[in-house]
Amino acid sequence: MASVGKIARRTFLIGSAAIAGGVAFGAYMVNRPIANPLLEDLAEGEAAITPFVKITRDGVTLITPRADKGQGSYSIQAYLIAEELDMDPKDTIRDPGLPGPAYYNAEVMAEGSPLPAYDDSATAETIRSVLRVVPKLFALQMTGGSSTVPDMYEKLRHAGAVARETLKQAAANRTGTPRSALRTEDGHVITADGTAIAYTELAAEAAALEPITDVTLRDPKDWRYLGKPGLTRIDMEPKCTGAEKYGIDLAFDGMLFASICANPGIGGALERYDASAAETMPGVRKIMAVKAGNAGVAVIATNTWYAIQAVNAIDCTWVAPAYPASSAEIFDALEAAVDDPETLDHRQRDEGDVEAALAEGAVFEAQYRIPYLAHAPMEPMNAIVRVTDARVDIWTGTQIPLFIKTRAAAMSGMEAERVFVHVQPMGGSFGHKLEMTHVEQAVEIALSMKGTPIKLTWSREEDMTHDYPRPASVMHGRGKVKDGKVDTFDISVSQSAMAPGWFGRLSGLTIPGPDATITTGSWDQPFAIPNYRVTGYRAPDMVPVSSWRSVGASGNGFYHDTFLDELIHQAGADPLEERLRLCMHAPSRKVLETVGALSNWDGPSMGENRGRGVAFCMSFGVPTAQVIEVTNTELGIRLDKAYIVADIGRVLDPRNVEAQLFGGLIYALSHAINSELTYEDYGPVQTNYHAYEGLRLYQTPQIEVQVLEEMPGIRGVGEPGVPPAAPALGNAIFAATGQRIREMPFNKHIDFV
Amino acid sequence: MRLTVNGTEHEVDVEPDMPLLWVLRDELNITGPKYGCGIAQCGACTVHVDGLAVRACQLAVGDLADGAVTTIEGLAQPDSLHVVQQAWIDHQVAQCGYCQSGQIMQAAAFLDLNPEPTDEEIDAAMSAILCRCGTYPRIRAAVHAAAAKLQEG
Amino acid sequence: MKLKVLAACLLAASSPVLAEVDITPPTSATPAEGLEAWSRIYEVASHPRCANCHTGASDRPMWSGPSYGKTRPHGMNIRAGESRIGAEHVLCSTCHTTKSDDWAKANTTSHAAPRVAMDWQLAPVEADWFGRTSVEICEQLRDPERNGDRDMLALAEHLDHDLILHWAWKPGGGREPAPYSLQAHVNDILIWGTAGFPCPEN
Repeated sequence: MASVGKIARRTFLIGSAAIAGGVAFGAYMVNRPIANPLLEDLAEGEAAITPFVKITRDGVTLITPRADKGQGSYSIQAYLIAEELDMDPKDTIRDPGLPGPAYYNAEVMAEGSPLPAYDDSATAETIRSVLRVVPKLFALQMTGGSSTVPDMYEKLRHAGAVARETLKQAAANRTGTPRSALRTEDGHVITADGTAIAYTELAAEAAALEPITDVTLRDPKDWRYLGKPGLTRIDMEPKCTGAEKYGIDLAFDGMLFASICANPGIGGALERYDASAAETMPGVRKIMAVKAGNAGVAVIATNTWYAIQAVNAIDCTWVAPAYPASSAEIFDALEAAVDDPETLDHRQRDEGDVEAALAEGAVFEAQYRIPYLAHAPMEPMNAIVRVTDARVDIWTGTQIPLFIKTRAAAMSGMEAERVFVHVQPMGGSFGHKLEMTHVEQAVEIALSMKGTPIKLTWSREEDMTHDYPRPASVMHGRGKVKDGKVDTFDISVSQSAMAPGWFGRLSGLTIPGPDATITTGSWDQPFAIPNYRVTGYRAPDMVPVSSWRSVGASGNGFYHDTFLDELIHQAGADPLEERLRLCMHAPSRKVLETVGALSNWDGPSMGENRGRGVAFCMSFGVPTAQVIEVTNTELGIRLDKAYIVADIGRVLDPRNVEAQLFGGLIYALSHAINSELTYEDYGPVQTNYHAYEGLRLYQTPQIEVQVLEEMPGIRGVGEPGVPPAAPALGNAIFAATGQRIREMPFNKHIDFV
Repeated sequence: MRLTVNGTEHEVDVEPDMPLLWVLRDELNITGPKYGCGIAQCGACTVHVDGLAVRACQLAVGDLADGAVTTIEGLAQPDSLHVVQQAWIDHQVAQCGYCQSGQIMQAAAFLDLNPEPTDEEIDAAMSAILCRCGTYPRIRAAVHAAAAKLQEG
Repeated sequence: MKLKVLAACLLAASSPVLAEVDITPPTSATPAEGLEAWSRIYEVASHPRCANCHTGASDRPMWSGPSYGKTRPHGMNIRAGESRIGAEHVLCSTCHTTKSDDWAKANTTSHAAPRVAMDWQLAPVEADWFGRTSVEICEQLRDPERNGDRDMLALAEHLDHDLILHWAWKPGGGREPAPYSLQAHVNDILIWGTAGFPCPEN
């Protein structure tokens, strides 16, 4: 075990390689096949490493392999390199790089670990180190799981430091002074007499040197960028001037525009179609059936709007998919699976003796459910694909470039080395762009029109119909209180498995064993309850589902914390005090205490028609607590204030951390209040934002955020803001109205302003 | 068909029924205005026509008449950003940024008509543009800051 | 609050107006015929296609239809303001654009903002119909102080010229149209007026 851990930790050996006009610093690729001459994007020598920093006479390029879907990953990755490189990232060229196995993400599997994140014992760390190897074996270059910063924190600073010291060595050789007498500043090596030599001037000399790899990373107290309150995102200005180009914005000479209608029943075939009305519509160049990804009919036209109009004029007859047609049938199946020994998937928490405790006296019981949810990012799915006899080029915003590369290679019969995935900035994702159906469709279209770049854009309606939503689930809870305390807590969650279907779609492989997502966010909470049990039941596969911002914790955080709140109410205890009494993890207690202080907590009641709720969830290793205050007005529930406290270990970009946390809360409240996908005739009823509204500005409470840095290590913050928001709101509504809401979205049960 | 966008006249050959958004994006390669919903629910496509905010996905190009179109690309002066853009940067509003050209164009048109807005008016003006990342708290702050700046002159 | 150029955006409804309606009052109508006509007029006035934009003192238009469950205020916190055209916040015309050409294709997309060949707006405060009773609407509509100083013929001509009203019978996009037809509604106004604007008893 220990040796595997060492290998995992040493995989980011940083080296250098000469490239045309300069030098690249990056991760060594041991036993990598020799450079393929077809890789025309890479200059000679560059293929020996997977670069993070490239320096030529023309400029300094920072490679930021984790995709940016709005969470600021390009910016923070650039700052991580720049902190050690001594160069303002705004003076560099930033490039996500072409996908390569060395950019694998070691941390992305950590949330699926059988160890709760609050466990930092040696055993737990060893198991986690094994999980870090799995992504490497699968070459899992993936963005997700709030993993970018934990995964890149050391790698990128290391690359920056190696580059800096090697450039200094080049300057030392040139000037005849020892490297230790030199320093660096703003992209220059500064000699003892104050002469500044630009990195770009040293590129060729540095390329001829053995890289200086014996580097010590700087102490955070010496940081110039990281952790500074005034740090600004490098992509902010282009996003405010219209200059930022997303995948959907790219254009190429001779490009045609496609749109598609696919079977709303995902996985069902196309029986037949009548496109006679569409054929003569303006701008239409071609109409074709598409089989890849999800069967449908595509229109290729001279303008996206013409394509969408023609698609809407096609009459399709679909074959039903292999799942129930309606939400009613789906929830029946979920209810049938809960507490059925035959469908038991896993029980990772079982403390005390729940059966004995529940056998006597009055048992408090409650049943909960959550709906399917679309990700519905602002930028609908799109991809540009150009196929020639020599290569396949794909431009798309994606979290999974290597799966796309492999699939496109298989579809085109081309070697993977000839498939180039150019990852673009994303207009949101929330997990949506962990899927690739749209790319498969675009590849099939482009294969039939070789030489012509094809931009496929899903209409919003198509996007929401083929979302691969967050799983629906149901929960049955039982509990008891004793002497004014929570004594027994037993919840059973029933859900279709999520991870195996997703991984199967991407890889064609099956994942054996239980699906942790069924109880992630409930079994792993840092509480000590005398009798404490969390059980996951596996309902049949139904609507194909996927990861949605905060994954399992998005629903399980609601179940766990709301049911705990109910039991605390049964016990007659204060919601905050009882959570603190039960919490056995010091940083989590500190988070709860801090949110209490920030919100001036003095109990759930705030006077007539007013109330506050507290909720806690530890997800992605981040203990997060929220307090929400509401007023029950004549027009409905109004959200007045919200407070968020989280401990992420170390803060690198304070303003962006704050934005991710309040953004997570708002994203969660959007769905808690008014959004769901319901199914009729195999497809979702809600296909655009009029029926899937989300939160608007006027409904957004005032929000205060406080971030603690007492947890060991460093954690990502894109997701942990999500799980506590729905329970905090539901608990607040209970405090204000006495009405307990156990089903999302809440507007099925109460009006909102 | 002729139309003027950001001060430049263009000739396009399209159906008059085509929404302005798709003329801008797919015919003229002016991609600041974004496609998000196509039904005036998200506002990511917002542009100005003769200074007034318009959802480009709802305006047929044939109905543009002589209206002069300004997109996010044409909002700034050559040597300085628009006050609203600068406020957005100062407040680090954008996350994914996809809706922000619509947010900024709506805010600029709003402040032009209503330079001293109340909180309630800001909530009414800016709630028609959807942001899925949840940047609203900073949008609110940035509109306030821009309004204050405009009043300074 | 200060509105800088409110006047500038109160764009005149200068679009070419098609006279679609025949305005020929009946030579006579009994009070009973008038009341019968009124009951049909009330069906129209209280229908969501009409009442949703006649919200009285509230500056919030309403939404209804199968997607919304129950009638509710227009999403997105839309408020037409004192201007009744949204000038203080978001102009109605920002989304409800003017569609002058090719009227047949104006409202084919479900759930898109309805558009006509003039600027969209909320009805005047006095024309307060949403949630009002038959008597309340009847008394408002016959009161020159509250109906824009219109007599029977002026009411009929208003129906002919105000293209937003025409939209109520051709809303498109899968929306349920107002009952009867524009011509039938005008005929009912003329019967009701000829009969002396009778209103039902309370």
